[in-house]
Amino acid sequence: MTETQQPLLAVENVDKHFPGVQALKSVSLTLVAGEVHGLVGQNGAGKSTLVKCISGVYAPDGGCIVLDGEPIGTYSPKHAVDLGIAVVHQRAQLLPWLSVAENVMLGHFPTRVRGIIDRHRANQLTRELLERFRLEIDPEVKVTQLATPERQQVAIAKALYGRAKLLILDEPTAALDAARAERLFALVEDLQRHDVGVLYVSHHLEEVFRLADRITVLRDGELVATRPTCELDQSEVVTLMAGRRLEAPPRAPAKAAGNGKAEAIVLEAVSTDVLHDVALAVHAGEVVGITGVIGAGGHEIARLLFGLDRPRTGRLLLGGNAYAPRGPLQAIDRGLFTVPEDAAGEGLVPWLSVAANITLVDLPAITRAGLLSLGRERAFARRFVDRLAIAARSPDTPVRTLSGGNQQKVLLAKALAAEAGVLVLEEPTQGVDVHAKAEIHRIVRALAAEGKAVIVISTDIRDLLEFVDRVVALRDGQVVEDVAAAETSYAELLDLTVGAVKAVAS
Amino acid sequence: MSAETRVPVPEVPGAAPPAPAGARVRDRLPRPLREIDWIAFWPLAVMVLIIVVTALRSPHYFTVFNFENILSQVAPLGIVTMGQTILLISAGLDLSVGYNIALASIVTGLLLERGQPLWLCIAAGIAASTVVGFTNGVLVAQNRAHPFIITLGMSIFLFGLDTQLTGGAPVNDMKGLYTAFGGYLPNGFPFFGLPSLTIPLLIVVAFTFAFLRWSPLGRRAYAIGGNEEAAYLSGVPIKRSKIYLYTLMGVLVGITGMVLAGQINEASFNLAQNFELESIACAVIGGTALFGGRGGALRSLQGVALWGVVQNAIVFAGLSSNYQEMALGAVIVVAVMVQRAQR
Repeated sequence: MTETQQPLLAVENVDKHFPGVQALKSVSLTLVAGEVHGLVGQNGAGKSTLVKCISGVYAPDGGCIVLDGEPIGTYSPKHAVDLGIAVVHQRAQLLPWLSVAENVMLGHFPTRVRGIIDRHRANQLTRELLERFRLEIDPEVKVTQLATPERQQVAIAKALYGRAKLLILDEPTAALDAARAERLFALVEDLQRHDVGVLYVSHHLEEVFRLADRITVLRDGELVATRPTCELDQSEVVTLMAGRRLEAPPRAPAKAAGNGKAEAIVLEAVSTDVLHDVALAVHAGEVVGITGVIGAGGHEIARLLFGLDRPRTGRLLLGGNAYAPRGPLQAIDRGLFTVPEDAAGEGLVPWLSVAANITLVDLPAITRAGLLSLGRERAFARRFVDRLAIAARSPDTPVRTLSGGNQQKVLLAKALAAEAGVLVLEEPTQGVDVHAKAEIHRIVRALAAEGKAVIVISTDIRDLLEFVDRVVALRDGQVVEDVAAAETSYAELLDLTVGAVKAVAS
Repeated sequence: MSAETRVPVPEVPGAAPPAPAGARVRDRLPRPLREIDWIAFWPLAVMVLIIVVTALRSPHYFTVFNFENILSQVAPLGIVTMGQTILLISAGLDLSVGYNIALASIVTGLLLERGQPLWLCIAAGIAASTVVGFTNGVLVAQNRAHPFIITLGMSIFLFGLDTQLTGGAPVNDMKGLYTAFGGYLPNGFPFFGLPSLTIPLLIVVAFTFAFLRWSPLGRRAYAIGGNEEAAYLSGVPIKRSKIYLYTLMGVLVGITGMVLAGQINEASFNLAQNFELESIACAVIGGTALFGGRGGALRSLQGVALWGVVQNAIVFAGLSSNYQEMALGAVIVVAVMVQRAQR
């Protein structure tokens, strides 16, 4: 049926460049009304860039996007909404202190004479809309009173009230439990019957297979395949995502996991809201990669280690002693430092100099008689600037003027300055160019060679395999694999973290 | 990705986005001068311009006496602006300074009235404002509420306390404080007959400069104000630092109270009306960021200087004092626009 209709959405040869990266290379995709179209691909494959192009956040550098036969002339989020394109993100974007009806009606309030809002009618319209999709939500409650899944449903209802023809769901089940996910699936199927086109972006292949009529696979910014779901199986998709079926293990001979070395950090049967019974040990001199899709638990492990969360059950050991930090200050005192994922947002103070950012973790080191010695600070910082080859004019340069890769290196310098024996790096190579990536790999290896224990938490499996000794794969908060990097492959890990459920059952 | 697009690479001039006007001139300067952010000195430039214009128009303007007059008018405001600068840098602020200055003066004045020794009265006055500062600090650190609302509440509380303590009537004899701050320094080297308030002003400015540049707590103030999350993840004790900073503000407020009460020989609840807003305005005009992370003692000082010169020039221009407020309001808006442009 799909071939004869005019497509609702046609993406035609779209290119998008960013400095140093070609995020999309001549990608094409069509979607007809009433179709659920799955969009899958590894991290960095270009899924979110494509979504942002369709929803008007980015303008494509080449090619065009056609909606209902009309090319989209101007790329702006508002224009996209006006055309009937709605995006529902993982975290629903609603105004928390307004009621459900007010959120749904925002921008389309029914009014009485002289522009006065007809609250009663707004509630009535919202109730009808929610009932149409069998959502049991009271239009009059405030959004703050709703749980995450319900907020997401409200966000979808809002998108549909805005007469959306095309709904883009970006990782919609990331925050949902099984029962709630079921209800979302029912909703998607219902939309399908109402002739809404759905672009379903997800890491979870089972969901995509269950809902999608067709599946498009992206890899490294290129279209790999678009095929009807019935002609594919999950392992085929994993292979398409990964590239070749057989990948030579890229790691050089890994030293057998920390043989003879002391265990630097140990998690014993740790559980939290997200993690279930996680056991993990990292030895001095070892680089361990932790991977899994977003929400699988990597970020939660980082938070536990840095004292930002506490385990509900189980315990942590640092250097053989019980370890229960109350916050970053205690963690740093105990010799553990975490480099956060978002360098500019959480890691650095943009207006301070490179030197001041580095020494912030250890001001006593440059304090003499209660005062900071700026000469000492410069010398202290220069050691790290030189060692990590940070491209800054001088240690006095404000951090905000550095490139992303160099900011990431300043973060690593902070980790060195903290003199931590255990380093936790979250997504250290995210958003940096190839050259900076290689340098970061080299630095991490050098740190391990000095006897530090390094934990790298990353969703980028291929990148991890290039420089870690051991990989721990997480899925739904559980460890599903703990293996030497040399003995596994990208395809295997991808299958374990996103593929069919069988891996968990074992 | 987007971070990469925004960030100019310093080493490659060709690849950098269009340089701001004046960059070429700057590149020809010797290295130490090149590092200076010249735009930051705009308040000084405006000040010099106003001085030249006013001096050309009125013969009595450009006199030592007039400048001493300006100095003695803004010195107390200058002292409290230094404290406000420290708090603004840490992304805080204190709206209770006006009535806290008054509280310090009232405590001191009432004790002086009862014939207590001068040192004790001063110590008690400064202690009172310090306790208020400490309380502000604890409330700001413990609550996630914005310091704006916490210190506004404190301000209203203090207004009540101040009026209660004095019964609305001012204390009219500050005794030793008046002797110290009501007059002028000896007319010779090194004081040249400057108002005696100059001494505490200079000490506090020097202290604030050194505090922000060389003390660990000052550095933490910049870090907290620049990115509180990053500071926390770097092991900066956020709560403790904030309590210290607000307590320090209390001490500086106490000093302002002593100086101001001594200068006009009076302690009353309306001694320092509008100081909270004027001190924030002066700091921001001088180039201290309203939302934290940037600024310094000397920047804020030039804001105070411009403030004083504008007020004085309007008097010399023969305009009503209503124009003072209008002009100062305009200066504040211009200052904020300059800061936005610097981003």
